[in-house]
Amino acid sequence: MTIKRITFIQELLKFIGLEGRLHLEWISSAEAQKYVQVVTDFTEKIRKMGPNPLRADSILEGEIIL
Amino acid sequence: MNIIHQVEQLITQDKVDIFLGYKELDGHLIPHGFTRDNLDELKELQTGENRYSLEKIATHLTEKHPDIRIGIIARDCNQRSLNLLYTWNQLNPDQIETVNVNCCPSPLKLHGDCSYLEPKQTGAFKKEHGIDFNIDPDVLVDSYDNNERFSRWMYEFSKCIKCYGCRNICPVCFCTECSLEHASLIEPGTLPADIPIFHLVRATHMAGRCIDCGLCEDACPSHIPLRLLYREVNEIVSSVFDYRPGDGMEKSPFTIIGDKVVLEPKPMDFQVEGEK
Repeated sequence: MTIKRITFIQELLKFIGLEGRLHLEWISSAEAQKYVQVVTDFTEKIRKMGPNPLRADSILEGEIIL
Repeated sequence: MNIIHQVEQLITQDKVDIFLGYKELDGHLIPHGFTRDNLDELKELQTGENRYSLEKIATHLTEKHPDIRIGIIARDCNQRSLNLLYTWNQLNPDQIETVNVNCCPSPLKLHGDCSYLEPKQTGAFKKEHGIDFNIDPDVLVDSYDNNERFSRWMYEFSKCIKCYGCRNICPVCFCTECSLEHASLIEPGTLPADIPIFHLVRATHMAGRCIDCGLCEDACPSHIPLRLLYREVNEIVSSVFDYRPGDGMEKSPFTIIGDKVVLEPKPMDFQVEGEK
């Protein structure tokens, strides 16, 4: 069920223009290294993408033209 | 008129307790319930291009009187939403009688009766800053990058006055408790509306449900291209799950826990746009 919903929401966010900010990964509690790797990679990816345009202050500062 | 005779038979032969149709009031066709007690009103029964979600009235009636038998005027869109409501156990097909009326034109029947037949007009400012009502979802994704798409949708959503018209008219919105009125999710009674959360929550709930009748877009006073949004939503549902809401009696993939998982989590390979 989770993967159905996540797959759908990833596509929806892509359509709206927020692609790539949602990620799903199966990690067991025994896979500490995998967990660290995934979180590090995702953090790095988000850092490269820059701040979420949804931040309230970015709307107030006029970075998003409404 | 043929249809009046048909409805009269349904009522007098005790096949339905109430028949939901339209009658004219001040020049507009409005939904009206015809029963044995007001049989003389039946001559006022009319059909035209005006549409309303009669199934929603049927759902509300059934909620109050679970055994009621309802007759209903059905176009193709009404039929789709009836199918959907059957699969969600909101209505019982044994208690519903439909009388089909003219709908979209086709090579077999050139004349059509539907308020949707007049294509929507998109103004110049909306084309410049927002989203064209008539744009193809694929073209939208191809012609604008992530940021552009996002600010265009935000322009559309920012016009929302939170009237709940899209939800109230929706024939397939039937939850007793609505997330859009949940204080900790979207606070009712505050403006501006929480964008894009309000619209994305609704869009998510339309997945596997929206039967593309377009009444939400007709009802929206702020001209937000909702039909386009939900159409894309169900384009995703159709391409990922091969499910088309209202097509038959199949249940939505979001209500079934499958035997085995066929989907795979997506790899983290997204390239940042504009990256050097």
